[in-house]
Amino acid sequence: MLMFSFLYSQEKSDIEYRTFKDTRVISTQSVETLPAGKMDFRISHRFGDLAGSNGGWETFYGLENATDILIGVDYGVTDRLTIGLNRSKGSGPLRRLVNGTLKYKLIGQGIKGGSPLTLTLLGGASISTTKKINDPELLSSFPKTAHRMIYNVQVLFARKFSERFSLQISPGYVYRNYVAQNDENGLFNLGLAARLQLTKVFGLIMDTTVPFSDLRTSENGYYLPLGFGLEIDTGGHVFQINLTNTTGLAPTDYIPNTRSSWADGEFRLGFTISRLFNL
Amino acid sequence: MKKFIPFLLFLGTIICCLAMTERRVAAVNGDTPVWEVLRELGEPSPNHIITTLPEKASTEIGRKIVHFGSAKSVKKQSAHFVCTSCHNTEKEFGDLSDTDPQKRLEYAAENELPFLPASPLYGVVNRSSFYNGDYEKKYGDLVIPARNDLRAAIQLCAVECSQGRALKNWELESVLSYLWTLELKMGDLKIPAAEYKKYTTQKEDAADLISEIKSYYHIDSPAHFVAPPEDRKAGYGLKGDAANGENIYKLSCLHCHEDQRYSFFDLNDGKLSRKLLGKHFPRYSYYSAYQVIRYGAPSHPGKSAYMPQFTSEKMSDQQVEDLRAYLTKK
Repeated sequence: MLMFSFLYSQEKSDIEYRTFKDTRVISTQSVETLPAGKMDFRISHRFGDLAGSNGGWETFYGLENATDILIGVDYGVTDRLTIGLNRSKGSGPLRRLVNGTLKYKLIGQGIKGGSPLTLTLLGGASISTTKKINDPELLSSFPKTAHRMIYNVQVLFARKFSERFSLQISPGYVYRNYVAQNDENGLFNLGLAARLQLTKVFGLIMDTTVPFSDLRTSENGYYLPLGFGLEIDTGGHVFQINLTNTTGLAPTDYIPNTRSSWADGEFRLGFTISRLFNL
Repeated sequence: MKKFIPFLLFLGTIICCLAMTERRVAAVNGDTPVWEVLRELGEPSPNHIITTLPEKASTEIGRKIVHFGSAKSVKKQSAHFVCTSCHNTEKEFGDLSDTDPQKRLEYAAENELPFLPASPLYGVVNRSSFYNGDYEKKYGDLVIPARNDLRAAIQLCAVECSQGRALKNWELESVLSYLWTLELKMGDLKIPAAEYKKYTTQKEDAADLISEIKSYYHIDSPAHFVAPPEDRKAGYGLKGDAANGENIYKLSCLHCHEDQRYSFFDLNDGKLSRKLLGKHFPRYSYYSAYQVIRYGAPSHPGKSAYMPQFTSEKMSDQQVEDLRAYLTKK
């Protein structure tokens, strides 16, 4: 009760604005929510491996391939609540994902006193709309419709240390309704993201997510999702170019399924175009 | 004859009652609306006077539309702006006969008001002309019906300036009703209180008195579009005052751009924003403040929102140089 009374005593002008420039860092969501009444149309793209056995000249450094493509919209219901719906191709065992997100900024970092952190809650659900395959060995055999579902929750904590530097940590949990026999349904994870603003227009960003799972080791062919990017803010249009070893774009996809290694050249170029509209 | 006496008495009573109910300004003081005094002196009613409000309309709904763009039962008027994005609802000068942008800025700073590109709504019902001067260059023939009609001016503002929908009749009347609450009072004018007495009774020189009262405020809002300096490196050739420029940046630029309040182009008072604007100031680019202050910013496909330009009455060349001095200050 005390927490809620604190929340609503926070005026918009009292809290730090734009800890991150966008609602996403590279793969992970940021603490940012959209202002009320604004719609964010976004397209994200991940090309193929830049180097390694699947990259190089043969695939024009991955540019001829698309490991994942996401198209969707987010909408600011209030300044604190953002809802989103998008569709991604998917790169894990489950494809053609329709992803819904609900994001609520619970506490904003105070400008003068108040909370030292921004705290945002994120909930998401993905449903695979891929065609059912009658092979019980495959996850896409979907014995039940519910097996198409994957859920994701995260608590995002971030601090804007200065105009130039912001840091975010995000403990989370991904739950897949249907997994392989040796895998686990629930997966705790911890994300880390940072932004270093070089100029008003250009900023460097990075993010990573550590899944806590005995199965997810390099020996078993799983790698730490890690990305670096350049963010270009032209005013109402945030353009982002990044290099990442994640193949999927939805957290329900890349957190459990990153099997590409930076060391083996299995990283790729990606970009996101985001454009805001007033509704 | 006797049989007509009751009828004559009745008629006399009616005439007396009518005479007694005629509205008169008993005594003029600082709170007396200017329009009441003018009316008593024989000024014809403006066409935006409200006699009765239509069903559903209310002053409170009008206030909400002006400040928030919507109200309960009123669909959002514009996705981009509200009236107060560009108009203050307070007076902007200590002396309403002034038009000096520097005095306007000083008054804004002193009273913590935004320094905006459009005229205040305070006292707008006391004006008789709208979209004056060079606004014809911007809106063409659209200003013709709006020039002498406040209702038409509000609708032009709703559709063109705020890129929204036209107001329904009852919404328009609600807005107008709210604007009447912002009418000028005698105390707003620099008329010595000792002079008020002469306005209380109708006199033969009423026309002169009306003109005299109107000389204390503007019945129109002069507007002159000006160009950026031809040589943007040299600027307007005036030495800027950074302290004054800071007021302009905080009260004007940040009013719309901070937290992307009305613009997608986000600015704050940090170094990075100031450096970007300072760097582009002397350039022939979209980000040059010379460019956007004097020409405004255009809308783009899919984005109707734009930035209106500042006329020379709303920001002087000197003030533009002051802004440059602040943004380029090391």
